Amino acid sequence: MTVDITGGSSGTATKARGFLTWEKREHLVKLTILILAAVLSFATRLFSVLRFESVIHEFDPYFNYRTTRFLAEQGFYKFHNWFDDRAWYPLGRIIGGTIYPGLMVTSAALYRLMWMLNITIDIRNVCVFLAPFFSSLTTLVTYALTKEIHSTGAGLVAAALISIVPGYISRSVAGSYDNEGIAIFCMLFTYYLWIKAVKTGTIFWSAMSALAYFYMVSSWGGYVFLINLIPLHVIALMFTGRFSHRIYIAYSTLYCVGTILSMQISFVGFQPIQSSEHMLALGVFGLCQIHAFVDYLRSRMPKDHFEILFKTLVSSVISLALIIGTVLTITGKVSPWTGRFYSLLDPSYAKNHIPIIASVSEHQPTSWSSFYFDLQILVFLFPAGLYFCFARLTDSNIFIILYGVTSIYFAGVMVRLMLVLAPVMCVLSGIAISHLLAKYIKSVDAGGTKLAAESKRQHKKLEQQTGGVKSEVAIGFVSIITLMLIVYTVHCTWVTSEAYSSPSIVLSARSHDGGRIIFDDFREAYYWLQMNTPEDARIMSWWDYGYQITAMANRTILVDNNTWNNTHISRVGQAMASSEEKAYEIMRELDVDYVLVIFGGLTGYSSDDINKFLWMVRIGGSTDRGAHIKEKDYYAANGEFRVDKEGSPTLLNCLMYKMCYYRFGQMYTEGGKAQGYDRVRAAEIGNKDFELDVLEEAYTTEHWLVRIYKVKDLPNRGV
Amino acid sequence: METNWILFYVTLICLIINPITAEIVNKNVERNLDIASQLVKTSYKIQVEETAGKPLKEYEFIVKDPNLSFISVKDGFNKRPTIEKRKEKENGLTRYKITFASNAPQQTLLIETVSTKNILPYPSEIKQNDKQLVKYVGGLYYYSYYLTQTQRLNVQLSSSNIIAHTQVRPFAVMSNKISYGPYENVAKLTDDELFVHYENQSPFLTVNTLERTIEVSHWGNIAVKEEIQMTHTGAKLKGSFSRYDFQKDGRSGQSAVKSYRTYLPASATGVYYRDTNGNISTSNMNQMRDSVELDLRPRFPLFGGWKTQYVLGYNVPSYEYLYNSDDDYVLKMYVIDHIHDNMVIDEAVITIILPEGSSNIKLEPPYSIERRPNSLVHTYLDTVGRPVISFSQSNLVENHIAEFTLKYKFSKVSLLQEPLLVIGFIYIIFLLTIVLLRLDFSITSHSHKD
Repeated sequence: MTVDITGGSSGTATKARGFLTWEKREHLVKLTILILAAVLSFATRLFSVLRFESVIHEFDPYFNYRTTRFLAEQGFYKFHNWFDDRAWYPLGRIIGGTIYPGLMVTSAALYRLMWMLNITIDIRNVCVFLAPFFSSLTTLVTYALTKEIHSTGAGLVAAALISIVPGYISRSVAGSYDNEGIAIFCMLFTYYLWIKAVKTGTIFWSAMSALAYFYMVSSWGGYVFLINLIPLHVIALMFTGRFSHRIYIAYSTLYCVGTILSMQISFVGFQPIQSSEHMLALGVFGLCQIHAFVDYLRSRMPKDHFEILFKTLVSSVISLALIIGTVLTITGKVSPWTGRFYSLLDPSYAKNHIPIIASVSEHQPTSWSSFYFDLQILVFLFPAGLYFCFARLTDSNIFIILYGVTSIYFAGVMVRLMLVLAPVMCVLSGIAISHLLAKYIKSVDAGGTKLAAESKRQHKKLEQQTGGVKSEVAIGFVSIITLMLIVYTVHCTWVTSEAYSSPSIVLSARSHDGGRIIFDDFREAYYWLQMNTPEDARIMSWWDYGYQITAMANRTILVDNNTWNNTHISRVGQAMASSEEKAYEIMRELDVDYVLVIFGGLTGYSSDDINKFLWMVRIGGSTDRGAHIKEKDYYAANGEFRVDKEGSPTLLNCLMYKMCYYRFGQMYTEGGKAQGYDRVRAAEIGNKDFELDVLEEAYTTEHWLVRIYKVKDLPNRGV
Repeated sequence: METNWILFYVTLICLIINPITAEIVNKNVERNLDIASQLVKTSYKIQVEETAGKPLKEYEFIVKDPNLSFISVKDGFNKRPTIEKRKEKENGLTRYKITFASNAPQQTLLIETVSTKNILPYPSEIKQNDKQLVKYVGGLYYYSYYLTQTQRLNVQLSSSNIIAHTQVRPFAVMSNKISYGPYENVAKLTDDELFVHYENQSPFLTVNTLERTIEVSHWGNIAVKEEIQMTHTGAKLKGSFSRYDFQKDGRSGQSAVKSYRTYLPASATGVYYRDTNGNISTSNMNQMRDSVELDLRPRFPLFGGWKTQYVLGYNVPSYEYLYNSDDDYVLKMYVIDHIHDNMVIDEAVITIILPEGSSNIKLEPPYSIERRPNSLVHTYLDTVGRPVISFSQSNLVENHIAEFTLKYKFSKVSLLQEPLLVIGFIYIIFLLTIVLLRLDFSITSHSHKD
């Protein structure tokens, strides 16, 4: 928008300040806005560093941090062949073949580069600040993309919008060191190069976009969205009769080069030609060849001959494709539709079929309020942007329309995919704002200053655009938009500061006198494990804490956040849900030395293991060996989940309950309440006086948030 | 006649082998044994006399406790006699040869020794609610090559709860003190055992390794970083740990270390206290008049056998420690600094990083140290690397907090190197941009539009 203002009054300005031509001034303003947006997008993500410290957040980032550290210390080949015996005891995990290495390679490369320049920065700091750094780059790429699709002005607005959009910040604050942090940049960069390729039809740009696609594949599983969206774009172009040699070159090059490159990632392997998620891309590639061939034939044949040929060809190809497809699916060559994919199409699929997917909060369907919370005014500007794109359809506009429509659907299915939606929201809103402001601000100008009539063509265009809008209306409109943008800024900053900037590894609360209390129990417990347990101790905990334990305590764990083995997790769930004797058998079977539980009853920390317990029961009962564990046994008579006296005896005597509430029955937690009052469940616990037979308390943190138990050895005979 | 000859030879041989025996006696010896902490601090007051009236030059002093960490000797006139450690070590004894500053037949010696790891938890494993009991085994009599005419021993304990102790009359027990003696005419090399079994709840914290890095910058700052690994070496925790008892019952876990104080120089700023998992949020800092007092709480209370590891760092202004005339610089800093009261450091490695371009480096330690090879370190804005001086010493206690002197040459012009490097770098970037923007690298010739 600013550029348009400059453009409007450029004539006078050029004369007033002779030393800067209009072009240079445009450059300067553009550069200033972009740099400011990039700096802002970096700075706004630093709340948690300033408020707490430079620390890695949450769960998955700890795994990424650990692997990055390994890569930086041991080199790529060791990393590639890394068999991790610290996780999934006794199975282990082949790290090199089961991750997207893009993130780790990026940070390790940055780290090495800086050390080469004698900038001796800690690898942790590289990891912490990588996501903000890449969001700065995203800001720039968004500008480039929007500029290609619409105009420079729209690009600048989009860049400014994306720099602070909460939907993206939620995944890219300093310390949230996750694949998504760089993946959004890769995705937009690929889109930008793809649009370039579509526009120019050169092999250079499509090869570049294939490279960007490779980077995207190497960094995030969400590349599947990308490899479906681009073919969709090609199909849409075919149906709208816009298919041309340019598209043919762009897509064929991208698909061939991109697919071969993507197969180099060992985690992806042969999926691009086997799994159903990639079939659209393959199909469209074939369709492109056919379309081009048909176009060629059409140009060389009489019309009636061509029609006969066309009909036979179409019918035979379709039947052949169906037969091959069925055969491959039946023989298992083409991987069956995976659960995660189904849950995209049908939000209730996962909940009904795969408890482990449903148990993750970020896999839940998005609520309407979170759309507003994460995108604010973009929600309203998005349709306007779509409208402006429809109003002037081009090849690239169609792409952004498709991107917008598909991603809003996926964002509705899964909360975490809000991340994919946020950039397109910004792009389309940028287009809308820029379009509207460009229209109205000229009227504001026309009323105020004398219009420069230097260029007649420009002047005419301006008149056309301003036609019929009164200056007062224009001023009113512009001020409303300005107000909206200000509110947007305030909202984004507030959301970032309040909702997305807590590391969740350190908790903070307000005390009665307004002071800040810090609960650092997680690190306390993990550090205790690291310092005071044997090097090869095996720790059993619910899978949520697996990554953190391996990264911070450096101990072997049974299950972690890479939930690849359902039966193993189920076994842990069974141990937690069983009575002490049964659990002891399972724990002996799994060679467990220590058990770690998270307990919030004293502090009121609500996402603790008792609240997650029903998921353990469900997952534990979902396999054959856990068939005896039935969810309804853990509900009270009236069908509620209660921990007090009314609660079911199965619950009150299971291992998890005992570990969480061991000796808690003697504690006074809140004034005026009886001993053993659980502040999360708001109930006095039902089973207070019990001793543990097979476990002993090894450590409990200061606020009882983490409790660690040692599994006792078998008793000596005859004692 | 023959026997006389034999006697003569024997005397001669004795004189040749040990020329300073016979005539020297310890007239009066007073020993104060302080075993209230984890250290054995002994102070001796010895009156020595040469019975023949000859001037007394040398004296042989024996320390019986193993793991002797520190010794200091003064004479009655507050002068420091020279002290020399004998090379050979027999039966775990450390022998010193003390040469007096003045020649007189009667001398007074004031000797202080500190030894570590001689107070052992007994029993070595206790439950959380148990008291920590320790035992000390030492010498009841002053162990010497000479006859001791009278001697006394005062033992200072940490509590009045004494389970058992050696009972050789005369002795007296007064709450947390036991006094033995006076004992008369104890023959030389008499070795009787002193045994004390008592309650000692003072923190048994041992610093296993201390890595102290001092980074000197000529821009006015000295950064100190201490990487510390410590273990509670008292009685090990047996059985389970109960947080409930620990929080509710004051008698529970008394021997556990919940926190300790570290004193830093008064000018210390930018203090950080962290470990591999990040900042340790449980600590307090108090600015005192002549020091900065840190109340450090490990992430978890340290029970017997538990370990922890952390990094403590701070900055001090260089004008307090760095002196120069022209290009000659002198750095005077403590080899080690206070970590906790009555500390024991098993192994300390001190590393000093000097600015790039320092030369003629000479280290003068306050006591003998083990020098490690010099090396180079490359960090921000370095080209050839900064010289690193490193040395180590084991078994250190608080008495070892003393200054080392490091002399080196540094030309002031080199100070300009770093800013010039930055300026040059930015200049080259701008220059490259200007040049690149004006060049056309395209391989096809095309007419420029607009």
